Amino acid sequence: MKAKDTISWIGFFLISIFVLFPLFWGIRTSLSPRYESSFIPSRLTLEHYQSLFTRPAFLFYFRNSLIVTLGAVGFTLPLALSGGYALARFNFPGKRFGILLLIFPLLPAIAILVPLVSYMYKLGVYDSFIALILTNSVFNMPFALWMLRNFILNTPVEIEEAALLDGCSRIGALCRIALPLMLPGMIAVILFVFITTWNNYLYASALTSSLSVRVLPQGLLSFIGTWGMYWEGLCAAGMLTLIPPLVLFLVFQKWFIAGLFSQWSR
Amino acid sequence: MRSKKGGLYILWEYKLPYLFLVPSVILLIFFLALPLISGIYMSFQKISLAGISEFVGFQNYRLLVGEERFRNNLLLSVLYVAGNVGLSVPLAYAAALLITGKLRGTQFFRAIFLTPFIVTPVVSAILFRSMVDPSFGPITTLLEMITGKRYIILADSTLAMLTIIGHSFWRSFSFVMLFLAAGIATIPTEIYEAAKVDGAGAWARFRSVTFPLTKMHLAIVLLIITMWTVQDAETVYALTGGGPGYSTEVTAVRLFKDAFINFNLSYGATIGVFLLMLSAVFMALYFNLMMRGGELSQ
Repeated sequence: MKAKDTISWIGFFLISIFVLFPLFWGIRTSLSPRYESSFIPSRLTLEHYQSLFTRPAFLFYFRNSLIVTLGAVGFTLPLALSGGYALARFNFPGKRFGILLLIFPLLPAIAILVPLVSYMYKLGVYDSFIALILTNSVFNMPFALWMLRNFILNTPVEIEEAALLDGCSRIGALCRIALPLMLPGMIAVILFVFITTWNNYLYASALTSSLSVRVLPQGLLSFIGTWGMYWEGLCAAGMLTLIPPLVLFLVFQKWFIAGLFSQWSR
Repeated sequence: MRSKKGGLYILWEYKLPYLFLVPSVILLIFFLALPLISGIYMSFQKISLAGISEFVGFQNYRLLVGEERFRNNLLLSVLYVAGNVGLSVPLAYAAALLITGKLRGTQFFRAIFLTPFIVTPVVSAILFRSMVDPSFGPITTLLEMITGKRYIILADSTLAMLTIIGHSFWRSFSFVMLFLAAGIATIPTEIYEAAKVDGAGAWARFRSVTFPLTKMHLAIVLLIITMWTVQDAETVYALTGGGPGYSTEVTAVRLFKDAFINFNLSYGATIGVFLLMLSAVFMALYFNLMMRGGELSQ
């Protein structure tokens, strides 16, 4: 028994190193002076972070990313909530097609992106935040809907029924009784949409061309072009980019992980 | 599905569900289903930059299939998927067996293990690019210690391919591990105890209990990782841009470059159809596997 425990702990340790090394390397590089070649830097400096804040570009892209991400979250959540509620609580013809929601996220989104670009062009929203918010929302919608459907299936229907019998309206019952119970599911969906939208480079680079709507991942890649191999600055920008999704993930990881992994087993 | 007996439900049952679903369904039809169809339609057209299109039948397909570069794109996609799946699934399965049930600080470790999955792909690509930097990258140094030769990793076609596979492996490993660990955790301990009473050793217990009962999870995670890797354009593009030459230009990157950098929309749409077909083949394969796995475990 003791030997087995030791092997497990060694396993844990090795996996942690493998998982964390690139992140550790990013922090190390962002804090070390330029052209430092030894693995452990001779001194630590914040100059690369400071230089990011003196250039307007980084903060501007950060702001754009926030607009698009919060927009996508705000757009997806109410739609996914009402749709997920219908799928979980009502019986109606065509309901079994709901399983398609689990297949959509697996299909190559990039294949749909080409015609989508010309759609957006015809709609007159190509190269705008609206196009980015819409695309991110639509591509995240199927999985978000499915996640909420499962969460609602797991909250007892009896409570809503009791509220109905006590004279609450359907909507009233939904808002006061069901919504608080669905909070963990909603948090998982918010995180899911936030993280995937924040991280997305593909849709943004397909649907925009001007600098004014450029989001962070695009900005980071363009820095390679303009700064050359200034890894210290690039790593500093990268680390700052990771803060919003990582902080949200670490705070709400319990619900997020539960939401993420339980979807395929039903 | 539970049946609803509350009297008020029946009144609402007919109108409300559609009302609740209509907005999201309309969006999905307009921005997912219709583009899918018009994408297939576009692949039979020649679209000029001015936006004028003419019907050309299978010409785009013929031109692409006749192209050495495109056949290489398809081959690289298969290699990329095989490399990532072949590395991450077996190793993650072994790791999942190692950690399940022994996680004392479960939540803490789960959160740490899942971080690569949360990290922005472009950021992890930048981190990996700096790790293989010829002058100070730790992977370059490690490789020099092993082989005695200092490589410019991203200028070597084999090493560049290994870099994009390694990067995807880093991103998917912990997801696969936690997915499989969640599957292993659902096996009731009584089954193991019964097997022990019957005198089954560790290997026999794995073969006759763990493996058959996690087959389904294995098939699902194989499907998920395969789909992600097939359509992955952004991490490869951010890491190598498809280079050196075309040596890491997988099909999705080719699509990305043709459609969104060179604005050749008809080629982009056609490659999209190829990607969809490739995904359909993988899906059919795994669903078949899952069905059989399901029968066996019953």
